[in-house]
Amino acid sequence: MLALSGILVWVILLLIFIFLGFYGRRWKKGDMSKLDEWALGGRKFSAVIVWFLVGADLYTAYTFIAIPSSVFSIGAIYYYAVPYVAVTFGIAMWAMPKLWKVSKEKGYITASDFIKSNFNSRNLAILVAIVGIVAELPYIGLQIVGMLSVLTVMLSGIANVHVVVDIALIISFIILAVFTYFSGLRGATLTAIFKDAIILTSVALVIIIALLTIGFTKSFATLPTKYYHILPLQVNAYWSLFLMSALALYLYPHAVTGSLSAKSPKSLRLSQSFLPLYGVGLALLALFGILVYGDHAALTFLKDTYVASSRGTYVVPALIFYTLPAPLTGFAFLGIFIGGLVPASIMAMSQSNLFTRNIVRELYPKLSPMREAVIAKVAMIIFLFIAVGFVFVFPLSYSVQLQLLGGIIILQTLPSLFLGLVTKKLNKYSLMTGLLVGLGLGIYWMEVANHFKTWTTTLLPINSSVGSLFIGFLALSANLIIVLIGSLIALPFSKK
Amino acid sequence: MSQNVAVKSKRSLYVTVAILTLIPFVGLAVVPLYVRTNPEIGGLPFFYWYQLLWLFLAAALFGTAAILFNKYGGE
Repeated sequence: MLALSGILVWVILLLIFIFLGFYGRRWKKGDMSKLDEWALGGRKFSAVIVWFLVGADLYTAYTFIAIPSSVFSIGAIYYYAVPYVAVTFGIAMWAMPKLWKVSKEKGYITASDFIKSNFNSRNLAILVAIVGIVAELPYIGLQIVGMLSVLTVMLSGIANVHVVVDIALIISFIILAVFTYFSGLRGATLTAIFKDAIILTSVALVIIIALLTIGFTKSFATLPTKYYHILPLQVNAYWSLFLMSALALYLYPHAVTGSLSAKSPKSLRLSQSFLPLYGVGLALLALFGILVYGDHAALTFLKDTYVASSRGTYVVPALIFYTLPAPLTGFAFLGIFIGGLVPASIMAMSQSNLFTRNIVRELYPKLSPMREAVIAKVAMIIFLFIAVGFVFVFPLSYSVQLQLLGGIIILQTLPSLFLGLVTKKLNKYSLMTGLLVGLGLGIYWMEVANHFKTWTTTLLPINSSVGSLFIGFLALSANLIIVLIGSLIALPFSKK
Repeated sequence: MSQNVAVKSKRSLYVTVAILTLIPFVGLAVVPLYVRTNPEIGGLPFFYWYQLLWLFLAAALFGTAAILFNKYGGE
């Protein structure tokens, strides 16, 4: 268990975090009974603030837990997260300002709002909204996995550790739900800046100390080739993973929310273009998965305490615990803990925006703006707790697969959103068919790749010369072929 | 005539920002070229530091493209 001084630091910082969450309500004050004030912070965030806010979506449990965990247990192939964050902003800096402009002009707050009018199809918009809500669930689930792992390491050794950890988690989520209810995106943004300051400092401290005391040479010494670099047969899996992840990020409702909160297209573009720098921390954290092999104490702790299948989840907390003194460990652990909470709140808010705007409002068009905001706030709380329930029934190991599963799902909305930003000529029925076929094939291939057992991989083996490919790439290809052929056939029949 | 010049400079702006944006994609798409261990830096294999380096290069190239476009390309 972490020494008392560490626990104390953790608790004090958590209190500051809660204060900031509530204080957010007063920051850049607006009328919180309106949905775009609550959900988009009134669209007045500067380039620097958006840089932090969208960066907060990046520095999540995916970074702290899932990627280092997979590098630790599987090898260099999970370093794909680095080229992914290097290129994803090259897509975002051109696509998102375009979406921002139409959204501001027409008062849109979600991607579905845009899709509805662009393709003149209510059904397509509702379908995309449902897909967005579902795709966020495993992503929020991953945040909770990360929070549980840091609590488990922090409190390891005490009696009934699992009960204590579960109670702590549920209390944190109640507090999160309350301040998000009152402060909306403003609260999330203020806490995101706080969280990032802690995380960046922690990563820098651990990496400097680990390099001085352990070093890469010692860490790599006992490892097989697949840790030095990917194997030749993994090349196709590698590019399909990083390129598809790069395309998927800005299709997620929470990334759309973050982008639309910018004050202008120019400040949005500028903030996106410098976000690859944020990925440096991600790359260093991924390397924790290697460095831990050189730290005898941390490695022994992992091997003695956790079974092989879930060991990876605890790599980063364990390395921090054995590298930093207790107060700094408490500091870093709090960073990881709220590093799951803040994104979870942004994600649940974006789900509730979709639910309220694109599902409830379609069914009850006369909804008043005030009632719309209330429904969105209540829906946010429900979505947060659905995700908590999701984790209690889903196995904790292979957490990165949760995020990749969300990726396969959300990628199927690419033709409707990204191609929609370039053309209105796509046929709405082809878009719907492509989306549904892509989803169906994606799930079918997941079953095939995992031999109809528990999902532990998202790579489908093709043959001995190609190797494996990310299922998201295959499903999106099928989807795109249907959309393009369907739209070509429909073109002569369209009235315009 | 001056309109012609404006169209031409607009086109060269688009070409410039497109190239700046695409360079990181090309640098990272050539996966087989960086699947290697040597040269290492401080014990870190080439595979890792090559891609880490691209995070800095991508920010510099995308940043330049964004500043150019924001200044000369309208919104």
